[in-house]
Amino acid sequence: MSLSVDPWIWIGALFSLAIFSFLYKDNPFYRVAEHVFVGAANGYAVTFYWHNVLVPALFNPLFRQGQLLFIIPFVIGILYFTRFIPKIGWLLRIPIGIYIGYYVGASIPAYIQAFIIKQVQGTILTPQNFASWSAGSWGILWSVILFAGVLCTLSYFYFSKEHKGVLGATSRIGTIFIMIGFGAAFGYTVMARVSLLIGRLQFLLGDWLGIIR
Amino acid sequence: MKIIDKLAKIDRRIIYLILAVVVILPMIFPSVLRVRVMPPVEKLFHAVDNVPKEKALIIDFDYAPQTAPELEPMGFALLRHAFRKRTKVLILSLYVQMLGLAQNALTEVIEEFNSVAETNTDSIIYGRDYVFLGWVPPPIIPILGMGESITNVYQVDYYGNRTDTLPLMKEIKNYNNVGLLVSLSGSDPPEWWIAYAQNRFGLQVGAGVTAVSASKYFSYYQTGQFSGLMVGMKGAAEYEEMIEKELAIKSRRIASEALPPLTYAHLVIMVFIVIGNISFLMQRRKK
Amino acid sequence: MKRTFPLFLVLIFGIFALLPYIIPHPIIQNTDELLRNNLLKILSAFALVLGLGSLLKVHTDKIKRKRENWEYSWVLIMTFIITSIIGLFGGVSGTGILPTSIGSFPFDIQTIYFNVVVPLGSTMFAMLAFFMASAAYRAFRARSTEATLLLIAGFIVMLGVLPLGNRISPHLPSFAQWIMDVPNVAGQRGILFGVALGAVATSLKIILGIERSWLGGGGGK
Repeated sequence: MSLSVDPWIWIGALFSLAIFSFLYKDNPFYRVAEHVFVGAANGYAVTFYWHNVLVPALFNPLFRQGQLLFIIPFVIGILYFTRFIPKIGWLLRIPIGIYIGYYVGASIPAYIQAFIIKQVQGTILTPQNFASWSAGSWGILWSVILFAGVLCTLSYFYFSKEHKGVLGATSRIGTIFIMIGFGAAFGYTVMARVSLLIGRLQFLLGDWLGIIR
Repeated sequence: MKIIDKLAKIDRRIIYLILAVVVILPMIFPSVLRVRVMPPVEKLFHAVDNVPKEKALIIDFDYAPQTAPELEPMGFALLRHAFRKRTKVLILSLYVQMLGLAQNALTEVIEEFNSVAETNTDSIIYGRDYVFLGWVPPPIIPILGMGESITNVYQVDYYGNRTDTLPLMKEIKNYNNVGLLVSLSGSDPPEWWIAYAQNRFGLQVGAGVTAVSASKYFSYYQTGQFSGLMVGMKGAAEYEEMIEKELAIKSRRIASEALPPLTYAHLVIMVFIVIGNISFLMQRRKK
Repeated sequence: MKRTFPLFLVLIFGIFALLPYIIPHPIIQNTDELLRNNLLKILSAFALVLGLGSLLKVHTDKIKRKRENWEYSWVLIMTFIITSIIGLFGGVSGTGILPTSIGSFPFDIQTIYFNVVVPLGSTMFAMLAFFMASAAYRAFRARSTEATLLLIAGFIVMLGVLPLGNRISPHLPSFAQWIMDVPNVAGQRGILFGVALGAVATSLKIILGIERSWLGGGGGK
């Protein structure tokens, strides 16, 4: 065991233990650590937004290079501050409207192509899809199962008609596929969460206490 | 029956303690577990391996401290792979919180390579072999903008150098000069790369994702929208296995070291679930 | 005006964003690039004001009214101010006008990030492992056929993804991979179709001004 002599490693370790102390019960150390995290993370973000975005993209071109056209984004950006002046607070809708408008406009063709058309192409029963499994003739069976599974799952989410008869049967099969999917997701989630714990312990036991390599 | 009742009411802190012990002990007494490489990781490895010499690999470091334990080993393994193959590499982040971690990964891997380099040609040189583009918000700007011109989006790199003066950026203009982009992320960015960059510019995309978000990403892997997929710490361990086996890169395998504690933790959680269900069934029978 | 003008802007910029997909003409493509690089980039930086402003307002209110745990709000505000000063005046690499080291002890923004933000953020999420174990013990019950199916699939994946699974049976990892590739994809894809169609419909409604919740309350016409 060789304790670290770096004061910052000690600070990081003590903060980590302060957060872990919440597992026993809520306490002032945890609260302080939690609030320090939020404050420091926001301070970090402000630094980079200023130095990496506002200064090179706005203030330098506008004030140092005299490119007066940049007054337009500057003025529109300033409108965000009207959030704090109730009388003219409606002006905040202008930059938000521009931002939202562009974003939703760009997303429509992107989502249709990537999340609908491509996914349909991957579901339908074609020789390319059979071959994509690299499983020989088993690929046909997997494609059929996938096709049936997608249709049944979609039928489960069709709520305009009561789930009786054929629709009832297909939606029940759809439920089975959804449950298997969620079970698989749960299995992976366990791995994910434990991995995060292992990562933290690697720091505490390795970098701080020097117990592990 | 009394034992069953006691088990049903066990203090949660005892559960926490058992999990902690089960994870810590295998870390203090390590063992080696070889991992079997599955097709999604193998495909990603070959996709990175086959990036043409004249094209670049873009690695999108989008993991925050919260997801670093799963995704950082992937970043290390990808960088080692790319630098060993002398593939040109561009590194970027879509969010500000990820920048520091990206730089940390770069610094460590480059030091590994340059500490054994004997000539300038062997060394990994900034501006010639790799460029750290940095961060430009919001994400849609670099994703769409790099299709036209990378240097128009990233006018200065992370270190403040003008990108149009860097030798590498004179060859790599836009996505036409990019062979593959690998997005390491714990949330939506891999989907955005597919939806915007691949959809409009035909960019090849691979992904390294956290295990939590993995189940939805298999849909994109099945359609071929992802050229390959690494999932969680296990995916990182598989990639580490591949670079050691195929390229003889011997370095610390952080993800592989985590496999024994991961295994025991999984077993303990399964035991918890079984005990919980047994006590539930017994109590239901009692009623 | 207070609602009409922003709705008009959403329509115009929504169309501006759609056009480059349909019209490859350089004028459209270059205008799109100009919009993104010179307007959206700057607006996103100013948008930080909204988040920060709300955060600081909540905590200053807490201090003013001495609500429960108001003392911790001071910690947050002071940490934010100190980190911002160090970052803004010390620079991204610690080479600004403010010195960021005392002797060999550095306190530049990157050092603070790696030794304060990273440990705190990682540990908060590391705690989830414990909560998940406790929740699995107390709440994960096979009450129905569906729940049992979920449990079995979860167990197969949990075993199959690890080297242990290969030792139990060489077919187990392949079976776990098959579960991810076939039934999981089937279920997730059905959900994905619904989400994607919903997102496209909502996007269209926003552009056309049918969906107005983003305007917020008040503001008159």
